Formats: sequence, structure tokens, C-alpha cells
Amino acid sequence: MDANPVNRRQFIKVSGAAAALAASGIEGILAARQAPASAQGTKLHVVRWNDFIPEADKWLKETGAPAASKALGAEVQIETINANDVQPRITAAIQSGAGADIFFMMYNWPQLYQSALVDVSDVAGRIGKEQGGFYGVFEPSFRVGGKWLGMPHSIVGNAIAYRKSWFKEVGVDGFPKTWDQLRKATAALKKKGRPFGQTLGHTFGDAPTWAYPLMWSFGGAETDKSGKKVVINSKETVESVKYMTALWKEGCDEGGLAWDDTNNNRAFHAGEICGALNGASIYIVAKRQQDKIKDDKGEPMWRDIDHALYPLGGAKGQFPLYFSNGHGVMKYSKNQKLAKDFLTWLHKKENFEPWFKVCEGYSVAATTEWEKHPMWGQIDKPLQMFRTAARSTQIFGHAGPSSAKATEAFSKYIVVDMYAKAVQGMKAEDAVKWAEAELKKIYEA
Amino acid sequence: MLIERRWKKWVYFYLPLAVFVIGTLFPFYWMLITAIRPDAELYRSWRAVNNAPFWTLQPTLSHFQDLMTRTTFPQWLWNTFFIAVVSTAISLFCGLLAGYALARLKFPMAGLLGTSIFVTYLVPPTLLFIPLADIIRNFQLGNTPWALILTYPTFLIPFCTWLLMGYFKTIPRELEECARIDGATRFGAMVRIIFPIAVPGILSAGIFAFTLSWNEFIYALIFLSSPEKKTVPVGVVSELIRGDIYFWGQLMAGALLGSIPVAVVYSFFVEYYVTGLTGSVKG
Amino acid sequence: MRRPIAGGSGDAAGTVALPHPRTGRRPRRGALENERLLAAVLLAPAVLLLGLFIAYPFVMGVWLSLSSTSVGNVGQFVGLKNFVKAWNDSIFQTAFWNTVWYTGWATIFKLALGMWLALLLNRHFRGKRLVRASMLLPFIVPTVLSTFAWRWMFDPTFSVLNWVLYQGGFITTKLPFLSDGTYALWCAIVVNTWRGMPFFAITLLAGLQTINPDLHEAASLDGANGWQRFWRVTWPLLKPVTLVVVVFSIIQTFSDFQLIYVLTGGGPANSTHLVATYAYQIGVATGLLGEGAAISLFMLPVLLLVVWVQLRYLRRLEGA
Repeated sequence: MDANPVNRRQFIKVSGAAAALAASGIEGILAARQAPASAQGTKLHVVRWNDFIPEADKWLKETGAPAASKALGAEVQIETINANDVQPRITAAIQSGAGADIFFMMYNWPQLYQSALVDVSDVAGRIGKEQGGFYGVFEPSFRVGGKWLGMPHSIVGNAIAYRKSWFKEVGVDGFPKTWDQLRKATAALKKKGRPFGQTLGHTFGDAPTWAYPLMWSFGGAETDKSGKKVVINSKETVESVKYMTALWKEGCDEGGLAWDDTNNNRAFHAGEICGALNGASIYIVAKRQQDKIKDDKGEPMWRDIDHALYPLGGAKGQFPLYFSNGHGVMKYSKNQKLAKDFLTWLHKKENFEPWFKVCEGYSVAATTEWEKHPMWGQIDKPLQMFRTAARSTQIFGHAGPSSAKATEAFSKYIVVDMYAKAVQGMKAEDAVKWAEAELKKIYEA
Repeated sequence: MLIERRWKKWVYFYLPLAVFVIGTLFPFYWMLITAIRPDAELYRSWRAVNNAPFWTLQPTLSHFQDLMTRTTFPQWLWNTFFIAVVSTAISLFCGLLAGYALARLKFPMAGLLGTSIFVTYLVPPTLLFIPLADIIRNFQLGNTPWALILTYPTFLIPFCTWLLMGYFKTIPRELEECARIDGATRFGAMVRIIFPIAVPGILSAGIFAFTLSWNEFIYALIFLSSPEKKTVPVGVVSELIRGDIYFWGQLMAGALLGSIPVAVVYSFFVEYYVTGLTGSVKG
Repeated sequence: MRRPIAGGSGDAAGTVALPHPRTGRRPRRGALENERLLAAVLLAPAVLLLGLFIAYPFVMGVWLSLSSTSVGNVGQFVGLKNFVKAWNDSIFQTAFWNTVWYTGWATIFKLALGMWLALLLNRHFRGKRLVRASMLLPFIVPTVLSTFAWRWMFDPTFSVLNWVLYQGGFITTKLPFLSDGTYALWCAIVVNTWRGMPFFAITLLAGLQTINPDLHEAASLDGANGWQRFWRVTWPLLKPVTLVVVVFSIIQTFSDFQLIYVLTGGGPANSTHLVATYAYQIGVATGLLGEGAAISLFMLPVLLLVVWVQLRYLRRLEGA
């Protein structure tokens, strides 16, 4: 039932490729007569997340994979699954010793799965050198013991998408620059039935990228620089929690506790909220579906959308958390060399570029050279700020090392829940104490 | 039955019944409406003036179309069906034999064995699936339907056994006794006399097993990874929520289509199901 | 000498043992005539399957819970450390309490509503078969799919229930169905009740149909009203069936995973986690397999207790 070429063709066909492209996968294999015999008929299974820009995945599956198959002489199968399901898949695969050859690695997962990943320092070193070096965030997150256990791929920058006209109505030009300004503006807007939309649910994207920077910017941190002592119970953290509670009640859509990463997009497009922390997908989708997504005047909404940097000023600093990601090659894989070749192919300039362009700034490359790409001058002004977004991003465990313990804290949503509990009524000091106890169990076990 | 006044009948009978029917079936109606509603209507603000949630004036089949052509949904339907049928067959076979043995035969440890079969029903799947993943890997069954076909009986067999045991107990022993007097072997009597009588019970256990395996989620989630191998529940959950977007239209279309096969099977056999339960309940 | 065979109902307790007339042909003696051997052969497939795929993994699972295994790393024996950690984990405590609360209330509702529906369906009316068949739908439709429909109905932004209540003037702001911990758990209870009630109804209906209507006639002639008839006549006779159905339902509901996974994912802020979903999150999502196994094992004593109580009670009922 599974080695049947008819089924493979059916699979490619029904997963979105046009009929013409369906055959190219098979023909690619047949045509690559000069491909090494050992790779012939081999399948390379890559699992990635469902990109929030669907066109990027479309490119990968319809153009990228067949081209890679042709170049490598093997069949490259790119599977995309819901981001929240990637971790369970990785766990199941590692435990049963079988599964995809390459898995999508988010944030600092190479730390977590270090015993099951292949050393890709050769690929990473080369690409890094060729393309101006990786952004700082990858050093603590993807490198373990001096070795690159993950191949950095891209960074999804988050920013606050907001409705220009609405903020103008309450007297703010552009977007509030400090935390206090945000509080005042969203309070005024909520009274008009247009609250700010932020999730404090267990989402991998929007919730942590709000919560961690909020804590960091107010001066709080999970641990000290050594990563061994839990210091979250500090005046600064309590202040950030108090701020969040006030912001929530006065200016936020209180349904946000149940939101996942998609709710704020939908609420924004339906005209329910005035702003949301998100990747560029709100803007990009609004633009690409401008006949469907309109504002209350009947105009295409995308013209009213702009982006602002997060976190805001007015506190101790500005430390963002962006969604850095890449790929890992699994130790149990029987196609490790092929996997590394695929990664090399993927990051070649001519292969990376089309994907980069179709993302339109939603994802930026992991290497700094792509900041100079002419695309940045051509895309819409609201998207241009993402060009340098990746420079300053931090990762869990900041300012300590980003270890597997930091990942554990992230997957248990301790920092996010700290804020969630406070906005649900718990006293700020108690919420912070709770977080401290939970973190201690992980860091000081 | 006693004669009642009309109003009493309405208040105590028809009204509650109507409430039950509406309450039970409304979610299905909602599934249907969502599945045929165009996207623009689906995401309209709830305070919008022209919001008419209970019906739509522009029904569309595009969600169903997208579901069938742009995803591997048809493949999922087939996978689920195949797995359900085969694991039901295996469980019925084991349950039938085991149920007969426990209901009819005397042997040491009968009580203990019977109890332990039921105790296995209590072991939570969330505990078992990691060790099971090891076993599946050793047999190299990962990512194949056989991983599920062999693990589903673990929760189907206890139930089938219980159901059939109860059913067998209602069949009078005289039937076998007479058959054996006539020269049949124990085994022959079992197969030729008892099993045919137990067909309603077998059918009801079979339907129940079919439903339970169609419904199973966590093992399918863990053991199947390729999109084309998935079962309907896993596929709907993992493939129809893409990135920022819950494709509610397609989700509901998938939910409807995924429920239809089971509902059809049920509609044919619901009489047997109820009779089977009646029989086992008496036992 | 042959007796005419009495067909139909009657349980094992009422069977009469016939004397074997030795004048007839003797049954052939083969290997399978031996009761014990036949039993062994008949039970072999079931025992083999269950042994391989439950007993063995169960033992492995217990070992896992006593070790520090995490994904990709073989662990060492750590004794009861995982259990202690779980016991002190506030999220686990919440999850355990949630599971008890959820199971308790859902079972009560399912029993009450199921019983009521069974009583309603026990009468003859036009369209009875259709109604009976359609009542079963929530139970046979895959949980994941129907829970999605409910999730859509509870959606924070587009909920139809909010719309109805708003239009009816009952509320002015949206109800936080899934955004508030307490609300969300009750929503889960509602969905579970919706899903499980048909099973109760049909099984209890089957039980009701074994009760001789003459008993009801006699009772009402004695002057009993509807309620008394139910309480004095119907309920005692239904107790055994009810007990069995309740126990099965408790087992299923207590170890429920799918419903919460799809409806809330354990949120908001871990407030609707059940033991099963929390075990999954810790074991699979976070990769701490040893701890996840330990959390799962906490379910077992409770279920064993429930089953033990049931068996004792059943035995007492049958003895009485």
C-alpha cells in the first residue's frame, strides 16, 4: 500500500501540487541518470511546521522538493504538520527509532534533543562563513558543546500589527512607544469596543514572544547568568506582572486566555481587535486576500495596517524573543549524508532566494547577508522593519545559557502561565512565587 | 399502559423528548451548516447586523471539494475503514472464543483469568504507548496500519469478551448438552450450535468494536506519521489546522464525512446492537 | 430421553442440569473434549495478544516510571522520585482534582439524563425507531470530530451560543466559554455528557425492557404514582445494569484524553488538564518519559478501586 508509485503520485497530487508538477517528482528521479546509484530510490523525509505563510509551504512542496529531488537523485518528501505537533512527533520518532530524517527544530530544541541529533558543523560552518555569519541567537540555541547540532534556517520576526486609523482616533500617531502609552491607548480603544488582542494561552508563538520579552524588558529573568540560580522572584518581575494585569483588564480582549496562535489573526481580520503581536502574517494575508478582508468602511483592510516593534520602551531595556528555527538531522536516520546534502542544497543562494522572497519578510534568513537583499527595498513599507529584526532577538534562559532546562520551562509554559494566572485574579506576588517554585523544580532539581 | 390526559402527555413526554432530540442533534446541524457556509460568512463578526448563523443563503460545496481534492482525506477514510474492519475481526475472533470459554467451561483460574482480562481494560493508553512504541519498532511496524491493527484489540478484546460472555450465559446449556448427546464434540457443538444463535451478540459486539476503533486517537497519533497513512481523527486534527488558520469549513466537512461511515453501519445494525445489549444485560 | 428445549430468556442461574442418559451414543473423545485443554486453546489468542501488547508494555511502563528516562536518553533507576515530583506538582494536583470533578459530574449528568431518556423511549410512539437511532449519534461519531464542532460552537470570537444568548438579551458581553478555567471545565463536562448520555440511555433502555410491565400495573393499582413506581419498582431492578454501565463510563471518563486535547488542550493556563492529557504533555511534548509514565500510573489505583467497589456491590446485590 505504500511503495506503490500510483499512491505516491496521488499523494503529491492531492497535497496541493498541480497535475503537471505531480509527475515531475517521478520524472525527476528517472531523469537524474547521473545521480549516484546509491541514492536512487531513496526517500528523504523532512518534517516541518505549517508555515503561517501558506505560499511558502506551497513553494517548498511544489517547486523546492521536486527540484531538490532532481539535484540529489532521491525523492525528497516534505511534510508539514501543525507546529504544536512537532514535538510529540519528534519524541515518538526518537523512541521508536524510526521516522523522518530531518525534523524542524524550533527555538532551542537542539539542546533538548542533543543525544539524538547528528553533528552538522560541516554544513553550518560553511554556510555561515559564506553568508556573513549567523545571528547571535543561534549560538546559544543551536550549538551544543561547540558543535552545531542544528542547521539554522530562518527567524520569524514578531511585531505588533495595528490599525493606524483607530489609534489616530485616540490621539496616538503611529503606535505607542512606551508601556504606559500602550496602556492608555488600549484602554481608550477598549471602551470603543476595539480592545488589544493578546493570547496568554499555551501557544508556541504569540504567547511566549509576548511574555518573555515583557519580563526581560522590565528587568526580570528566569535565572542568573550561570543558569543555576532561579532569580525570577524579583521586584522587576512583579512589576511586569502588575503591568500585565492592568493592561489586560483595561485594554485587552479577555477571551485571549483561550486563544491559540490563529485566533488573533482571525479576530484582527474580522475587525474585532485594534492590534496584536504577531508575525507579518496578519498584514500579508490581509493584502493577499484583500477582496475578502475589509474594514468597516468597506476598504481593503491592509491599507490600514502597520507594524510596530515589540517590546516597547520605557522600562529597563528592549529584549525581543523571535521564533528562530532550523533543521536537525536525526541520528537514527539511514540517510544522514543525503540529509546533509539536502540542507546544503536548501541554503544555496539560488534555492533559498525564492522561498525567502515568497515569505516577504515574514521569515528572515538565519545569516546576516540577506539583510542586503534587494527585496527589502521593494516590499511594502509596513514590512520593511523586519529586515533587521533578527539582530536583537534573545532566547529562553536569557541572560543565562539556553539549556534543555530552559526548553523544559518553555514547554511547561511557566512564564506564560505566570501572567495568565495573574490576569485571572491571582496576586502578582503569588503568581511570581508560583513561577519561582516551578522553575526551581526544573533548574535546581 | 395507563391512560393520561393530553396535556400531561405533552408536558411530560413530548416536550422533554423534543428537548433531548434538539440538544443531541444540534451540533450535527451546526457541523452541516458550517460545512456548506462560504468563508466570508464564517468569519463575520458576531455583532454584525446581517449575521444569520442558523442558515445560509449561499450554500457552497467548496469545502467538501477542497477536502476531497486538496488533502488526503479519501485516503484517511480508507485507512480508518481498513484498520477498523481488521481489528474488529481479530477482536471478535478472540473475544468469541474467550467469551465462550469463560462462560461455559470450568477450569482452574477461570475467575482469575476473567478478571485479569477486564483489568487490562483499566490500563491507561497514555502509559502504554511509549513501551508499545518500542515493541512496534522491534517488529518494524512503525508507520504502518498493522501497528494499530495489533494494538487496537488491546481495548477491544476485553469489551467483546464481556459482551459475548453475558450473551452466552443467556443461551441455555441444554442446547449443547443435547448436541453432545447426539455425538458432537465440544468444539463442534460450540461452533455449529452456539455461535449461530449468538449472531446478534456477535454483531453488536462487532459494531461496538468497529465504532471504538474508528474513534481511537492517541495510538494513531503516535504510531502513524506519514500524511497518507493517517486515520480520519488524526488527519483532521493535524492536517486541517494549517498554521494560522483553522479551516473550519473543511474541518466540519471532514467531521461530517468522517462520521458518515460509522453512522451508516449503525443504521443497519442498531436493532442488533440493542438486542445484543439486552441479552448481555440479562446475563 | 429428550426434553423439549426451552428457548428464550433465562439466565445461567435458572438452568436445569439434565441427566445424561448413558443409553445414547457417547460423545467422541478427542483431545478437545477435555474442558481444560479446550479452554486453554480458546483463550490462547486473547491471552497472547493481551499479554504481548498490554501486560508486557505495562511492566515496561512501570519500569519507565521508576527511571529518569527522557527522549533519546536512557535513564537510570530513580525509585519513586517521579511520583514524588508529580505529587508535589501543582499542575498535577489540579489535573487530578479536575479529573475527579469532571468524571463525577459527567457521570451524574449522564446517568440522570440517560435514565430519563430511557424512560421516555420505553414507550411506544410514532418514529420511535428513528428517534432511538438518532439518539445514538453523539456516541458513535468519533469524539475528535464532534468535539471540534463543539469547539467551534464555543469559539471565543465566533461562538453561536454567545450570539443566541446575546440576541435573546441574556448577556451583554461574550461568555468566556473556553477562556476561563472554570467555564472551560464545565464546557468539557457538557460535551462529555452530550457524548456519553446515549450509551447510558440505550443500555438502561435495554434493562428497562426486561422489566415485566405487570409489576408496574400492580404497583399503580396499589395507588403508587409515577415517581413512586420508578423508585420502588424500576430502580431496584435496574441497579445491576446501572452499576455496570456506570463503572464502564467512569473508567472511560477518568482516563479520557481526546476530548480535552481537542477542546482546550489543557488550557487556559493548565486549568483544564486531566491526568491523561497532562501525562501526554509531560511525556511526549516535553519528552520527559519517566515523569509522564509516573503521572499515568496515578490513574490506576483509582480505577482499580472503582472496579473493586463495583464487584463487591454486585456480589452483594446478587446475594441478596
